[in-house]
Amino acid sequence: MTDLEHRYPGPGTEPYGPPSGSLADLLERVLDKGIVIAGDIKIDLLDIELLTIRLRLFIASVDTAKKAGIDWWETDPALSSRAARDALAEENARLRERLDALEGAAGETTGAVR
Amino acid sequence: MSASAAGPAAPGIVCAFAVTRTPPDPAGLAAVRGHEEGGPLRVLRADGGLCLIVQDVPAALFDEEALTERLNRPADLERCARAHHRGVEAAAGRGPVVPLPMATLYRGDLTAARAVAARRPVLETLLDRLRDRTEWAVKVHAAGTAPEAPGDDGAGAPTGSCDGGRAYLSRVSARRREQRGARGQALAEAEAVDTALRRHAVAATRHRPQSERLTGHRTPQLLNAAYLVEDARRADFTAALARLTAGAPHPAVRVEASGPWIPYSFARWDEDPHAGPGQEALS
Repeated sequence: MTDLEHRYPGPGTEPYGPPSGSLADLLERVLDKGIVIAGDIKIDLLDIELLTIRLRLFIASVDTAKKAGIDWWETDPALSSRAARDALAEENARLRERLDALEGAAGETTGAVR
Repeated sequence: MSASAAGPAAPGIVCAFAVTRTPPDPAGLAAVRGHEEGGPLRVLRADGGLCLIVQDVPAALFDEEALTERLNRPADLERCARAHHRGVEAAAGRGPVVPLPMATLYRGDLTAARAVAARRPVLETLLDRLRDRTEWAVKVHAAGTAPEAPGDDGAGAPTGSCDGGRAYLSRVSARRREQRGARGQALAEAEAVDTALRRHAVAATRHRPQSERLTGHRTPQLLNAAYLVEDARRADFTAALARLTAGAPHPAVRVEASGPWIPYSFARWDEDPHAGPGQEALS
């Protein structure tokens, strides 16, 4: 495609931003930092009191964004607490399974030795 | 529920849009509509000449539960994002701004002003860095000129004989090689686009490529970049952009651009201002 969504205004010309700019472009910009917040990593909020609000808020909006097709952080444990939870749960289940198997094997071995 | 249900007497929340040293005149600001549910936009002065553009919004609609619910409705999310952008634009009338993330909320003017004062050095550095500069969004997609010949697969399917199967497999692997080659070419051209544009920009950063579902394109997005461009060099930048789009020197890709934007992607105050968005270093 060769379309440019802008009018090449001269320096100093207002207003900013394509008025009919795509929602995806806008969300990318206004939520960009939100994604970092959802990531739970570099939280540096203007107001610590509202930390939980913003944290959950952006996780919520991340879900919404995901419905719109912006889904890359869902599978990245570092960026998604839910994905992190899933990954942990999965690992936990795997470890339990292994432990059960090992315990079973150990029981059999002791039984056999005796 | 109506906004007036949470009138001035009700506990309010202050919604902040942007930080600036050059607040817009009150009349102009009053003409701008922020969040539909809130009061008029206003200037909140913090220490050291820094100002916040804020709006009083009803707690009943902006507390955790309400916002979570509302922002999960795509229509409300869009309304909120556009309202936020209007507030940021209103702040940017006279000089540089540091746009804040959508739904930056405070319990009152005092905490808001205090939060800004606590981050004054970073905010000032950013304001200096963003003065007389705008952001341009550039997306590069694979051109997708090589048709996949969708009927090919069925028509060329193995006929059951050994030879047919081998021929089929070699056709498939040839096509794969071709596709890989085409993708490699497109990626190289996307990088060339980036290199050409960086020459005219003060800084560049990348967002994650958007999914095909989101872009509506049938070919993958290869580059989702943002460039910070000095006003004095804007003509150079847009001329380069025009060459890349209209001139089509890179046939394997399509280039789309929008701008000028308020430099959202370069206004991160929660990390080193010279590093750009967090994803930049990683991707």
